[in-house]
Amino acid sequence: MKGLRKYLTPFAPDQSGAVSVLYELGGILVICDAGGCTGNVCGFDEPRWFSHKSGVFSAGLRDMDAILGRDDKLVAKLEDAAGKLDASFAAVIGTPVPSVIGTDYQALRRMAERKLDLPVLTVDTTGMELYDVGEEKAYLELFRRFAVDSCPVEPGRIGVLGVTPLDMSDLRAGERITAVLREQGWHTVDCYGMGTGLDRVCSAAGAEKNLVVSPAGLKAAQYLKDTFGTPYEINDPLAQFLLPEVDYTGKRVLVIHQQVTANALRAALEQRGSGEVTVATWFLKKAALARPGDIALKEEDQFVDLVRRGGYDIIIGDGVLRRMVPDFAGQFVEAPHFAVSGTVEGRP
Amino acid sequence: MSGQAVSYTVRELYERGPDNLPNELVSNTHLIYSSPATLAFNSPGAEGFGVKRAGLAIPGSVMLLVAPGCCGRNTSLISSMPEYHDRFFYLMMDETDIVTGAHLKLIPQAVQEVCDFLPQKPSVVMICITCVDALLGTDMERVCRRAEEQVGLPVRPCYMYALTREGRKPPMVHVRQSLYSLLEPRKKRSTSVNILGFFAPLMDDCELYTLLKQAGVKTIREISRCKDYGEYQMMAEANFNLVLNPEARFAARDLEERLSIPSIELKRLYEIDKIASQYAALGAALGVTFRDEAEREAAEAAVRAFREAHGAVTFCVGECMNGDPFELSLALVRYGFRVSEIYGTLTEENFGYLRRLETLSPDTKVFSNLEPTMLYYDCSQSPGDVTIGKDAGYYHPGCPNLTWNQDRQPFGYAGVRRLFEDLDQTMTEQEGRP
Repeated sequence: MKGLRKYLTPFAPDQSGAVSVLYELGGILVICDAGGCTGNVCGFDEPRWFSHKSGVFSAGLRDMDAILGRDDKLVAKLEDAAGKLDASFAAVIGTPVPSVIGTDYQALRRMAERKLDLPVLTVDTTGMELYDVGEEKAYLELFRRFAVDSCPVEPGRIGVLGVTPLDMSDLRAGERITAVLREQGWHTVDCYGMGTGLDRVCSAAGAEKNLVVSPAGLKAAQYLKDTFGTPYEINDPLAQFLLPEVDYTGKRVLVIHQQVTANALRAALEQRGSGEVTVATWFLKKAALARPGDIALKEEDQFVDLVRRGGYDIIIGDGVLRRMVPDFAGQFVEAPHFAVSGTVEGRP
Repeated sequence: MSGQAVSYTVRELYERGPDNLPNELVSNTHLIYSSPATLAFNSPGAEGFGVKRAGLAIPGSVMLLVAPGCCGRNTSLISSMPEYHDRFFYLMMDETDIVTGAHLKLIPQAVQEVCDFLPQKPSVVMICITCVDALLGTDMERVCRRAEEQVGLPVRPCYMYALTREGRKPPMVHVRQSLYSLLEPRKKRSTSVNILGFFAPLMDDCELYTLLKQAGVKTIREISRCKDYGEYQMMAEANFNLVLNPEARFAARDLEERLSIPSIELKRLYEIDKIASQYAALGAALGVTFRDEAEREAAEAAVRAFREAHGAVTFCVGECMNGDPFELSLALVRYGFRVSEIYGTLTEENFGYLRRLETLSPDTKVFSNLEPTMLYYDCSQSPGDVTIGKDAGYYHPGCPNLTWNQDRQPFGYAGVRRLFEDLDQTMTEQEGRP
């Protein structure tokens, strides 16, 4: 049935993705909600929150604020916070409440910028899309707003787009990608969103190349290419570590993950002599990254049917999916995806 | 920009009075800071009992959360507890549903699918809806009746409207009403009593059980101790309800109107003499004089033993714990300890404790967990020997901490005794004593 979940809890929503991109950049991040969405984002979808302080706030909306559309009250609260906190920007992140009442984010941004001595971003997330849609919007907004053209290209500098705990399921993903890329000869690696500050976003035009490690980074990479001429590649350099030593020869494999990781896994499997590999994803399925026969999943029943009819020998995906297909007789290889299960374990 | 967390002394707040609190302590005037110390505020289900967990207090019930996906995201934390396995289901709304209300038509079918999916029919299906339906003005009572007709089971709404958190009937008040709304009239028994207010039982050794027995009560029921739906229904035979949490007042009033069960309200207190007075008043209402000397003495002995073992220690007291931080701080100061800081929310109800604290500990600092400058809280500015509450523990990572936010509810003398026993254990462990 459309929208019914009997096995899986809902996946990370778009507002979590937006916060994930902006979390380490030193801004005042205001989740435009009554409190519950902030609790979901911070208490669950942002694993850095328990160890790394960040200025994440709830707008603390109440029923009359929503009914009367009191944007001025939100701006006043933001002004109050901006006067007390040391921040380089402010961002207002949408949730279902502003979505229902039709908040005009552009107007809100202009109102806030008139009152604050700070740049203000707005991300029109709704809580009804998935995390990567929110990440995509936040990356794009971030680079449009802050990346400047005055930086000469630095040879040996690479920018990485799409690296967040939600995508990479690893709190050390930024460090690990940096290590891999340094081994490849890049001396400066900027993982935007994990380990890199706003100053590097501002000078993003100085990168010799960008690497896109999840579909959420693709639009921003295209923007940087169109605006500054920075070329980009698409690959998840950590995906190979997800594959255990198993005989894949001639095996029919179903890979379920975010599309870039899934594609990197498919490439690794094919190198190891696998048979047909099908990529499926619950999240953004970019046509440019898909092969014919790749699948966009939406409902639980769809996944169950796919496994029943697919005749797969191996499934690679988050372990939480296993429960939906208890009759699957093949091998299930766990590849955690934080946006699915909320787990960061299992990635070496 | 001060780069410092804002606080006020107890004296400053007393002088301002409850109607003139500084904006930093009035949550609707500022952004709400989000830190692990405020998780219980923003996401009550993530720890303790929020609407989702509370909504499943009826034995054998399941919940269908009808909402945008984001509202159910952190439910996996609860679902991972064995007692909630296969009890949460989701019907996710999209933007079209918001415009057309199409999701409402799907609810009866979704309830049917959930019931068919489960090996055993649930006793009740709770339909949990969130801020979106609050704004849309959804008549969920009507939708639930339609679902009931389809599945032949009770289906009840449960409102997780964070938007109404500071309103007349916040979500945790509503959910208590929903839970007891299923009780059907039955013959009264003069020896039966219900304890309302919590979703987990009182500590087994709480004297309230024995005191009620002294008053001739033979059966004491709490929703969390009911083994099945039949036993839950027996709560309707009670002679009176004891309300231990003000959030259960509306539910108690409903039961009085609908089932003619009157109620008596008691407060959770940590001041031993006030506990005694409260029990004396309860005894008077029931026409009995309670013999509670032994329990009182045990509580006093625990306080003495702690003081002898650890001296006049300094506490930092938070609000993420089973108690009112101002009342607990007052009790601690009256027992001869010092309270350097309180992280709490002042209300009209607890301002009275602050008034009394002002004469005993005027320099105690009061912070609001929710205020933006808490981002800069620096524990080196205010050393404490021990902290109480999960929030206080977060602010003072190197200090012994008693979270005191367990599901099993402390109450009365037993609560005081256990508090000091646990504090002793916490401090002894930290000091490395055997």
